[in-house]
Amino acid sequence: MTLAMETKTFRVPRWLKRHETLLAIILLIALFGLGLLNDRFLTLDNLLNQGRLMTEIGLIALPMTFVIITGGIDLSVGAIVGLCAIMLGYSWKIFGFPLPLAIVFSLFVGALAGFINGLVITRVKVPPLIMTIATLALYRGLAEGISQAHSVRGYPEWFYFLGQGSVFGVPTQLLVLLVLIVIAGIVLDRTTFGRALYAIGANETAARFSALSVDRVKLVVYTLSGLASGLAAWVLVSRVTTTRMDMGIGYELDVIAAVVLGGTSIFGGSGTIWGTVIGLVMIQLLKNGLALTGVKGDATIVVIGVALILSVLIASSLQRRRD
Amino acid sequence: MKTSLLTTTAAAMFALSFTAGGASAAGKWDGADDLPTSPLACDASGAAAPAAAKPYDGGQPTNAPDKAGKEITVVDVPKLIGIGYFNATSKGMQDAAKELGNVKVTTDGPTEAKIDEQIKFIDNYITRGVDGVMFAANDPVAIAPVLKKALSKGIHVVGYDANSTPDAREWFVNQAEFNGIGKSMMDSMAKEIGEDGSFAIVTSTFTTPNQARWIAEMQAYTEKCHPKMQWLETVEAQEDNNLSFNQATTLINKYGDKLKGLFGMTSVATPASAEAVTKAGQCGKIAVVGLATPNAMKPYVNADCVKSVVLWNPVDLGYAATYVMRAVADGKLKPGATSVEAGKLGKLSVVNGSEILLGPPFIFNKDNVTKFDF
Amino acid sequence: MTATAITSSANARGGLFRRLAGQELLLAVAIVALAVVVGFINPRFLAARNLSDILLGNAYIAIAAVGMSMVIISGNIDISVGALIGVLATISGSLAVAGAPIIVTWLAPLVIGVAVMAAQGAIIAYLRIPAIVVTLGMLSILKGGLISVTGGKWITDLPQNFHLADLSFFGVPMPVIIMVLATVLAALWMRNSPTGRAIYATGGNPEAARLCGVNPQRTVLMVFALHGFFAGLASLVYATQLRVIQSTTPQGLELTIITAAVVGGVSILGGVGTVVGSTLAAILIAEITSALVFINVSPYWTDALRGALILATVIADILRRQRRAAQGWKR
Repeated sequence: MTLAMETKTFRVPRWLKRHETLLAIILLIALFGLGLLNDRFLTLDNLLNQGRLMTEIGLIALPMTFVIITGGIDLSVGAIVGLCAIMLGYSWKIFGFPLPLAIVFSLFVGALAGFINGLVITRVKVPPLIMTIATLALYRGLAEGISQAHSVRGYPEWFYFLGQGSVFGVPTQLLVLLVLIVIAGIVLDRTTFGRALYAIGANETAARFSALSVDRVKLVVYTLSGLASGLAAWVLVSRVTTTRMDMGIGYELDVIAAVVLGGTSIFGGSGTIWGTVIGLVMIQLLKNGLALTGVKGDATIVVIGVALILSVLIASSLQRRRD
Repeated sequence: MKTSLLTTTAAAMFALSFTAGGASAAGKWDGADDLPTSPLACDASGAAAPAAAKPYDGGQPTNAPDKAGKEITVVDVPKLIGIGYFNATSKGMQDAAKELGNVKVTTDGPTEAKIDEQIKFIDNYITRGVDGVMFAANDPVAIAPVLKKALSKGIHVVGYDANSTPDAREWFVNQAEFNGIGKSMMDSMAKEIGEDGSFAIVTSTFTTPNQARWIAEMQAYTEKCHPKMQWLETVEAQEDNNLSFNQATTLINKYGDKLKGLFGMTSVATPASAEAVTKAGQCGKIAVVGLATPNAMKPYVNADCVKSVVLWNPVDLGYAATYVMRAVADGKLKPGATSVEAGKLGKLSVVNGSEILLGPPFIFNKDNVTKFDF
Repeated sequence: MTATAITSSANARGGLFRRLAGQELLLAVAIVALAVVVGFINPRFLAARNLSDILLGNAYIAIAAVGMSMVIISGNIDISVGALIGVLATISGSLAVAGAPIIVTWLAPLVIGVAVMAAQGAIIAYLRIPAIVVTLGMLSILKGGLISVTGGKWITDLPQNFHLADLSFFGVPMPVIIMVLATVLAALWMRNSPTGRAIYATGGNPEAARLCGVNPQRTVLMVFALHGFFAGLASLVYATQLRVIQSTTPQGLELTIITAAVVGGVSILGGVGTVVGSTLAAILIAEITSALVFINVSPYWTDALRGALILATVIADILRRQRRAAQGWKR
């Protein structure tokens, strides 16, 4: 980050020109506009509901931010969601695990899947894009093979609390997400681990020479990515009361869109959790607001695509003018 | 060291494939939802003895506003938009809306058959405040929570084509019973390839609920009524035309003369299978039987490659669903009713507690395929 | 990162063997080996009809992978190509049904493909928006736009002479001709033309490339324009093969194309790989898909196996590269 020179003339404060702030301003304008067009949009009920629906993507977007900051990427997250969802039901019904153990087991499977990604990426040095494209196919295929296309349903009532319940009016999963956002933000901003992520993304060779255990850090972020996918799977199964092997298809693109929109550079070395959150909220509320205003699904997709390009364009060109 | 690890893994994978292959494709298919099958009688009497009238088992809206005679806005959320089948159901709904005059139907849905997307669409319309939701579910259980939410907000819920759990909707317009479709398909195929013919199936995915149930019923019916027919294999091809074509071609090449018939389980798989048979020069030698829309099948039916296409009329299906929605909103169709008036379709009966039956499957063939445009 | 610009021209001077050694050879061997093994289990696999069907049914993927390889070699990526192919196929078919001259229906996807991709390339190169963002946005725009405009209505009643893919010359079907021509011409061009080498240079080390006089922005623009051309070509084969055009985005197509390029040895780090590799990889993947049906693999496990095989191929490629690098070979 460049140091601002002290001058006598008035300068717009640096924080105002940061990508995240610009994005937040665009977001507020969009929200205001949509709120004017539709009176159901800015109600607490709707906003909380949207918070509930965006949790799965949000959970995965947190470690994805870490991964992309290190200059990597993980396209297999959607497939891991499918695999964990299947393993949750399968281990409960077929292995006979008590449900809490099945849940822990499915989280373990997610972490393991992420760990395998990280292991091959760091040890065999397969580039992350390639590795995770391959595991995207493999993990999804495993979900199908293990489940034999069966769903598992009929969970006890308490299981649905995570996905469908509320605590003091706030959806349960949203609370979990909020807590994890805070933790992720602190880790990224205030810990050596977080700083290591930026260092690796900015210049991996230099990072290695600085005696950072680059491989171990990368292994951790990919494992976290898998774990978060497992957590998202748990939330999803709890929300829709069943397991399907095709759960999570397409999640990777939604997650990456949120992260990239939030200002994290795909080349690595920069990005914040705060930005990811804004990106996440923006996409979710934009989709929701458009739908409530009467825009149909296909047109909404077009608008999201245009909005994605425009926001990144606006935010980065304003930032470039600052440089 | 790394390469030998690699070779070992590859070898293990290969070995796994053979053992997995042992649990081969023609194994017992149990409908992917563990429900029992109930094959019909083998003869032309067709219908099973009518089940003892089941009590109404649908859900009911809470405090639905009284809209008798007033205009209602209804949203239709099919499995996905952009395929001929749901274009046709949508057309039927628009026809019915025009006739009724006081129903406004919008069709909106995901571009891919994903249950999570479908749920979000329905959720948004609940927030927007519609009077009724019509749906064709990507997953009967997963869609239930959001439909119950709609009911709890006083919104009427009517399903068609693909059901949800009964308590999540008021009524379900069923094009045909699963076992009825199983019987029609198998009887058509047996007529074309004979009692000891062998066939294969091209479907969308194994997790598409309707298709999975139909295949299960087909298997049960075949075991009961056409025991000498051989079921070779079932392959998946998503809802993709080219993929279905490639899969069908692979089957033709794999089995050669042994393959006498192909089933297409979706409106995408059937024309693609017909195309594969045509390209392989096997028209007339390999029968193609399946569910499809007439437009997509015209070239093949006209070339005598496909003798008959089994379907109900999806336009009628959408039409009926709209009339049911109107009747529900008017308070004319209450739990316990035994029939409902559906415009030009006449009186439709209530079966299975809360299902409304459209009627027997419709067979499209060379004589009538040009009369339809969907 | 080494200046592969210099080394790739060195390789250009090198012999045919050196050019073909490596991933391409591995893939060719795998294709033959798999055919032999499966043929042992089910001899019908080796029937000329079957082998030709495998090629025909998947030629469009190989053609699109040629363009995609170039994009990846230049250090970028494109995830909108699947949607674009769907759009171009629909445009082509709609024109044919509307009675446009057949040559127009065949040229339209090429022209529009180039235009759309070049636009993306311009945004990426000159406005400096990362490729993943632009192509992700474009994917949405194309997908939604297609449904919006067509309402998802399929295109049937295509005129008979529309079906380019049904033609053949000297017994060789058109899709195979196009696939081979596209691969060979692109491979020669990439290796011998200044722009082709500039693509490698830009992907390998943009700064070094700039110092060598290469204009990275113009190169990226060119690459995307070419990619659009090949996407148009692919959509032409895709559209003219069947009697019905599904006017929706083929699901997962871009991932298949990227996988073909990547398995073909194109390094995502940029600067390495060939289009010959990606075509061979596309053929191999198609062959695996068919083989799994022939050897009676349970249909529930086919996707998992295909994924495992792709992973194995990729790992083998990386290991081989490392061994070569350790021995002092650069490619």
